[in-house]
Amino acid sequence: MEVTLLLEATENAFRIIERAREHALGLLDTAVQFTAEETHYEDQKRVHALFAGAQRRKTRFQNMVGTTVIMFGFWLLLSGIFDAFHLTLGFLCSALVGVLFHDLLFSNVRVGDMRVVAGRFIAYIPWLIEQIVLANIHVASLVIRPRMPIDPKVITFKSKLETDVSFVTLANSITLTPGTITMDIKDGVYYVHALSKKVADDLNTGEMEDRVAHIFMEADHLYVQDVLDAARLYQAMRI
Amino acid sequence: MIRDSDDVIVKTLARLLMPFIVGFALYVLMHGHHSPGGGFQGGVILAAGFVLLCVSFGLQWTQRWMTRKTAELFSSIGVFIYGGIGVLCLILGGNYLDYGRLSRVLGVDVAEARSLGILGVEIGVALAVMAVMCTLFFMIFTAVDESGGQGGEQ
Amino acid sequence: MTTFFLFIGIAMCVLVLLCLYRATMGPNVLNRTAGISAIGTKTLIILLIMGIVYDRIDMFVDISMVYALLNFIGCLVLAKYLERSREVSC
Repeated sequence: MEVTLLLEATENAFRIIERAREHALGLLDTAVQFTAEETHYEDQKRVHALFAGAQRRKTRFQNMVGTTVIMFGFWLLLSGIFDAFHLTLGFLCSALVGVLFHDLLFSNVRVGDMRVVAGRFIAYIPWLIEQIVLANIHVASLVIRPRMPIDPKVITFKSKLETDVSFVTLANSITLTPGTITMDIKDGVYYVHALSKKVADDLNTGEMEDRVAHIFMEADHLYVQDVLDAARLYQAMRI
Repeated sequence: MIRDSDDVIVKTLARLLMPFIVGFALYVLMHGHHSPGGGFQGGVILAAGFVLLCVSFGLQWTQRWMTRKTAELFSSIGVFIYGGIGVLCLILGGNYLDYGRLSRVLGVDVAEARSLGILGVEIGVALAVMAVMCTLFFMIFTAVDESGGQGGEQ
Repeated sequence: MTTFFLFIGIAMCVLVLLCLYRATMGPNVLNRTAGISAIGTKTLIILLIMGIVYDRIDMFVDISMVYALLNFIGCLVLAKYLERSREVSC
């Protein structure tokens, strides 16, 4: 009787020990798994940082070269003296500007778009000059009359533009057109002072905004450059 | 301390104009003997560029390029370049700022040496003028703030 | 052609006088600022016309660029100052 009791107790003890061993093994397994995942994650982060650093350095170099080239063109336009001494001076000065101010000129511009944007911008200028001449005649006819039938008011509208360069282009186009002055831009809402009802109506049709959006390729949402960038990155990761 | 302005127009225009301002200032400085300009004017345009950055982006951001210590250093360097070229002419046996004597050091003829000497002196003048202008502007704008301002606290 | 530009310059000078009236007699400081800014732009054109009349356009273009730059920065600094002072409320 006592022997069977003893045997049972021993068996129970063994079973408990076995279960404890299983638990411990499971715990160890999960611990190993967690550490492996941690190191894997660390590796991934290091690789990612490497890629990001290389990308940033490459963008910085591109910006430097771009600023230097633009500054050298500006120098040639101003200088008009093409002997070797002045050209060397010009190159040194533009390189200095490029190194110092490389992140100002191209802060958030997709580089591939630049040529298209420049072409569309040049095509936009004649239309703007025509609008300026028309508005000039209108405002002059308003002011010359002795009664001065002006009706000044502040109009606000929400713009659909996205980048700050397009904001500034639209704001300066509005200010250049006589009779309207951009007073402020807060969170994409324009506050414009208009001199008369006709000028305000011209602005409210939104043609100028559409044209500015067309310049900076924001109307069609064709971000080809983004897709190309992503493709290159994926290819690099696969190797 | 000058606060960061939240106006997108002024900020973007300052960002786009700043490299052109500095390039134009260097052009005015380097072509002082062909067209109007020279050391003082170039230095003033450089300082105007930094004033524009300071007004639109705030003093904190401008200190990436121009702190008060850098300005003091540059004013000393500018005066040193100016005085150094003058004293070098004295040592070589001429009058003070007699550039023709530099031809022996530079290895070119007298007329070329005069042109190069004037260019060096103008660079020194431009550095000194820019640094002193920037120091004056920083001091004036921080002094208004330290006295508690004259209202307008938003 | 030179006479044409001379007459344009004289008209510009008359316009500068009108702006000068606004800048001196302006009721408050904002009118004066606008007047000074307008005088700056007109002086720019007068400088270019002087360049054409004296036949030294390459020299006067540089001067007028510096003038435009300093006018812009001066107006900006003035606006920044007025934004913080109490005079703007009148």
